[in-house]
Amino acid sequence: MNKIFALTKKELYGLFSSPIAYIILIVMLSLFNVFFFLIIDQNAEVSLRDVFQLMEFMLVFFIPLLTMRLFSEEKANGTMEFLLTAPLTHTMIVLGKYFSLLIFYTLLIGLTGIYYFIVEYYGEPDSLSMLSGYLGIWLEGAFFIAVGLLASSWTSNQIIAAMVSYLILFSLYFATSFTQYVNGWAEHFLIQLSTHTHLENFAIGIITPSDVVYYLSGIVLCLVLTRLSIDNRLWH
Amino acid sequence: MLIVNQISKHFGSFQALDKVSFEMKKGDIVGLLGKNGAGKTTLMRILTSFIAPSSGSVIIGGDDINKHSLSIRQKIGYLPEKPPLYGDMTVQYYLKFAAEIKGVPKNKILFQLAKVLEECDLKQVKQKTIATLSKGFKQRVGIAQAIIHEPKLLILDEPTSGLDPIQIQQVLALIKNQRDQRTVLLSTHSLTEIEQVAQRVLMIKSGQIVLDDLLDVLLKNKDTTHVPPLTLEQVFINYHQSQATVKEDTHNDNSGVE
Repeated sequence: MNKIFALTKKELYGLFSSPIAYIILIVMLSLFNVFFFLIIDQNAEVSLRDVFQLMEFMLVFFIPLLTMRLFSEEKANGTMEFLLTAPLTHTMIVLGKYFSLLIFYTLLIGLTGIYYFIVEYYGEPDSLSMLSGYLGIWLEGAFFIAVGLLASSWTSNQIIAAMVSYLILFSLYFATSFTQYVNGWAEHFLIQLSTHTHLENFAIGIITPSDVVYYLSGIVLCLVLTRLSIDNRLWH
Repeated sequence: MLIVNQISKHFGSFQALDKVSFEMKKGDIVGLLGKNGAGKTTLMRILTSFIAPSSGSVIIGGDDINKHSLSIRQKIGYLPEKPPLYGDMTVQYYLKFAAEIKGVPKNKILFQLAKVLEECDLKQVKQKTIATLSKGFKQRVGIAQAIIHEPKLLILDEPTSGLDPIQIQQVLALIKNQRDQRTVLLSTHSLTEIEQVAQRVLMIKSGQIVLDDLLDVLLKNKDTTHVPPLTLEQVFINYHQSQATVKEDTHNDNSGVE
């Protein structure tokens, strides 16, 4: 556990010692704030449902920018050899990196918590649906980070890692758009595959086991595949 | 301390190592010589568990590399050809991180940190960002991370590459000082350096060990067909000239692995 914590600290150090963490925090929070006020003003309803859906769309764009360097940079700099010849298991390396971005992302989502208090102050919202929405958007981000981590483990090129993440995340996000071309089980599969379907329930205050299992299984699957990618040195 | 038994490594159809065997005892400093593409880096990567051998076994401090890779890595300090450094970290932070992931107990980290900073003469740059250091300092930081957890076996892949003569002497002195504490396998192209620090020489060619002898014996030259005293450089050239074969040419054409 100490070694995972050391890896997590090191990743956070790297993130905050470069401008990228601050730029992403400032840009994302600024955009979230602008859209929060526009949505609240236009909808005139005390709910964050549309805010969460907009945040989801923006995460598709921003998370690959954070995850692209996780493994790609180590491989390009030759420090992957340092980690892989240290007395660390591959699972420790994967978890250490994953937790670092999860902490960063939790900070980002935590800073949007002010929306909850603003809405609470000015109206009488359904607090539980807002809190479930926050849980949903947190789980979704956690899933996206795992996808980005996996893509980063496949290549030593950060741009390629980001592009592969975009491809996977856009496919997941827009999966329901393809339902018009298929029917039956394929249609059902695409609906269930879409991240949009699962976040929608959280955003309106419904927490179902299938939605939670969707995100958790997606995270575990990506982390296991990342570990396999490291085991097999797939970037060579 | 180290027993390498018949290890081979294939990359597709290319054979990088062919039944390599040798042993090292505690306190040995062994120079690993060979041309580019001979298999030196592949051998070192196998010894450090970075890649697995296709066949054969490696025993380090009683543990088999195929079964106890994690405990083997605890016993090894490794400096790859390109020092594995994080440019955005300070020297102190990086070495502390290295100590943490290499399992140095929490209450000993500061002691070990102070020890390697002293041993590698890094005290004056400990607060500096690694990216701003000269190549010589970076190399010493690389050695410091390799010894911070007190490994029994130190593996150094061309530790003086790209350094100026003064920096080379500093790094060689540092390696010499390791003799009392650990076993050292040193890969280098510089025969002069091997003569300065090693007691024994391993020469690898086309993935095979073609020479394994004490440096003193080599330089005295047991072979009476040569006129003594020989330099190590002459020994190296003699080996490669006398054994140049068509097979080796083919091998070198495929030597991208190293």
